[in-house]
Amino acid sequence: MTDGTRAVKGPSVFSRYFSPRNISAVYLFILIFIVFAIWTPQTFLTPGTWANLLDTNSLVVLAAIAVLIPLTTGVFNLAIGAEIALAMMLCITLQIPHEQQSDLFLAVGMPWWMAAIIAVVVATLVGMLSGWVVTKLKIDSFIATLGMSSIIGAITYLISQNKPFAASPEFQQLAATAVPLGGFRLTVPVIVLIIVALAVWYVLERTPVGRRMYAAGFNPDGARLSGVNVARLQWGSLVAGGFIAGVIGVLSASKFGGSVAYGVGMLLPALAAVFLGSTQFKGGRFNVWGTVLALYVLAVGVQGLLLVKVPKEYSNFLYGVALIVAVAVSRWERTGKRTRAIRQATTFTKEGKEKLAAEAAAESDPPQLTPTQTALKQDGIEDQGDDAR
Amino acid sequence: MAAANRPLLRITGMIKEFPGLRALDDVSLEVHSGEIVAVVGHNGSGKSTLVKILAGVYAKDAGEVEYPSSTAEEETGLHIIHQDLGLAMELNAIENLGIPKYQGLRESLAPAPVKREKAKATELISRFGEPFDVTVPVGSLAPAQRSIIGIARALDGWKHPRNILILDEPTEALHASEVRILFEAIKRLAADGAGIIFISHRLDEVLELADRIVVLRDGKKVADEDREHVDHERLVEFVTGVKAGEAETGRTDRTHGEVVLDIAGLWGEVLDGVDLTVHAGEVVGVAGVLGSGREALPAMVFGSELAAADEFNVAGAAYPKRDPAESIRRGMAFVPGDRGKYGAIRDFTARENITLPAMQNVTNAIFGVDARKEKAVATELVAKYDVRPPRPEQIFKQFSGGNQQKIVFAKWLRNDPTVLLLEEPTQGVDIGAKQALYEAIDAAAAQGAAVVVCSSEAKELVRLCDRVLVLRNGVVAAELSGEELTETRLVLEGYGLADGDDAVDGSEGQQ
Repeated sequence: MTDGTRAVKGPSVFSRYFSPRNISAVYLFILIFIVFAIWTPQTFLTPGTWANLLDTNSLVVLAAIAVLIPLTTGVFNLAIGAEIALAMMLCITLQIPHEQQSDLFLAVGMPWWMAAIIAVVVATLVGMLSGWVVTKLKIDSFIATLGMSSIIGAITYLISQNKPFAASPEFQQLAATAVPLGGFRLTVPVIVLIIVALAVWYVLERTPVGRRMYAAGFNPDGARLSGVNVARLQWGSLVAGGFIAGVIGVLSASKFGGSVAYGVGMLLPALAAVFLGSTQFKGGRFNVWGTVLALYVLAVGVQGLLLVKVPKEYSNFLYGVALIVAVAVSRWERTGKRTRAIRQATTFTKEGKEKLAAEAAAESDPPQLTPTQTALKQDGIEDQGDDAR
Repeated sequence: MAAANRPLLRITGMIKEFPGLRALDDVSLEVHSGEIVAVVGHNGSGKSTLVKILAGVYAKDAGEVEYPSSTAEEETGLHIIHQDLGLAMELNAIENLGIPKYQGLRESLAPAPVKREKAKATELISRFGEPFDVTVPVGSLAPAQRSIIGIARALDGWKHPRNILILDEPTEALHASEVRILFEAIKRLAADGAGIIFISHRLDEVLELADRIVVLRDGKKVADEDREHVDHERLVEFVTGVKAGEAETGRTDRTHGEVVLDIAGLWGEVLDGVDLTVHAGEVVGVAGVLGSGREALPAMVFGSELAAADEFNVAGAAYPKRDPAESIRRGMAFVPGDRGKYGAIRDFTARENITLPAMQNVTNAIFGVDARKEKAVATELVAKYDVRPPRPEQIFKQFSGGNQQKIVFAKWLRNDPTVLLLEEPTQGVDIGAKQALYEAIDAAAAQGAAVVVCSSEAKELVRLCDRVLVLRNGVVAAELSGEELTETRLVLEGYGLADGDDAVDGSEGQQ
């Protein structure tokens, strides 16, 4: 600092980076790990558990990223689960030969790759439609995508007649293929996740487009006055989310076959991870690595609970708690900081008076004292006098 | 009545501090029964702080508020009518009058006595002249009728007429004819024995209505005079603190280039056909009271607010359909009045804010932001505009108001704009930063920018401008430059008080 302004000495870069406020999820992970490692070591600590965890949850992480993209521009996409379910059922039913399921009008016996392309295109178009409703009809994204979600759900029901289907052995190969890497086998979903996460990270944090997306999310009016086309970014982010949802749908169809209920269950963990992730690394900004970390931490918690024989249905309890706690923490951090700043900046609160007293005692001739300051300063001098005696 | 000659309200030595600012400095005030006291002053003079302390929104730092004539049988009440009346626009007058009543569970859930309520509402309202329909949503009533509902609601609980009623800028949304209806209502209340405090910055209305006029300037009381001792000119002197005839005049030292901004007939929500021509290197001010169109003009020129124009040329090229992104591409820059809401992204760092409008010159070959180049740009600008602390990585909202504004200036002046639009450029900014911002504006003009400054501060316009357009009711009422451009003239023209043309007649002529 070259001029007269007071240099505030913050904590070092190292301690700031590793502070619980910045990477609390890592500490949470360690805690969960220790608890279950002691509780159920014979199952929790096996490599099979961890490889399975990475693979199974990669699709949910992808869903969280698909939710994250619109959220950076200030738009909720609550239709993500429905979009995934639609792509999943489309991809499966299109492959079924007509003679097998004559009541399904979409059962045309397509090759799996063609069905996959159509599923992804349709999911992208659905994202486009959501974007149109949000930016052109100017309907609040929460309401708009909730409505879209239920419309898509009905269509999914229509094309599948609510029946579960198994994937053909050939199609199953898509998600099961793996590249060995050291001790791990990187399956296709994990590879897709890594590619998507890197791409989204680059766009969000390293390009002008990403900067404008964050600007649009933080303050749409201010961003517009800085030349940011807010509506176009919001629309585009819903389209990108729809595309990713399509990819997730295809991969989950290959992995699990077709079931109407599957995709919808992804919304809550995805939202929880995105909000918990926003409290990690970037101090309040939605970000990719925070989201990935948060989701895997939550997944490890769920996995541990499964291993100690807690029924799977209770995992939503954990996700729900995580979502509320994450939002509460980030809100508290924001308003707490502001309240403290106001208290310290004004002279009449307790903190302000204490600060003034300390300053008055430290400085020899401060300029222009207010009556309060003068009074406090006299107190300070008297104190010193007492000490001298 | 022994209490008759005691004041209803006595404020002594009121002090209120904000960080780096004394909003009220030893202000004393008395209001007697039957008296209308006007409290006048510019924006930031302390008027609204005073009201907020009386309302209990702020806690005072020192001073006394007493009700000397208040007794056990006749307790003095205090009611405040805020500028936005706090009415529910979808509900009707009866329902609005009932909002503050019915406290507690039993009263709240009991069925409302509709007929009695209606009769009572009509009776309350007819005290202020011709009664109107109390069963239609108040949103469909005239603004003056809404004001009367607001007053009637305050009066509903009065057990006796000797209470205090504070009206905070009540005429802001009213037309001249409606102002008259409201004034009649206020005079009736005073005649009944109420003490009225009328807060306004419309000097003509104050002179028409008040019995006594109190003027605040920079938090201090500078005048407390009976109406008959005050005329237009003295009141302006009190408000501005400048004696007529010995004021500074506008700038004549700048050299102007070609016409850069040329607008004919700008129409919008409050603008009614304004012509604006600005040359390169020229600083043109826009003055006028709130509601005159002054605050809407820069946003309409920039394209962030809808407006139509007969002709609109920027740097010689026609620019018929405007939007912010295109305006930036054409070399325009806009520093809006509300920097938290429109001027910046509060959660971004200073660096991110500075580069946001023009990121194309800090990118690298792979479409990414060149972090080193961006940081260098931000560091240089933060130093150039003397932002304190000079840390480009600090979050915008953690800077003080003046430094925030310096960052907003840095953001827009980075690309040497050809047209610089400024709205209240130094609002809420301390003296030191103010000086720095004025120098930045001077430098931009010297570099050949066409500058438009819209400001409510007459002093600022005189300091900065070569020429000032004074708007009144959406049209240009006067154009002042050189010797004519003084603070006093600006204020007089803004209120329509110049050279004997009476403001109220003038505004009626506009309708």
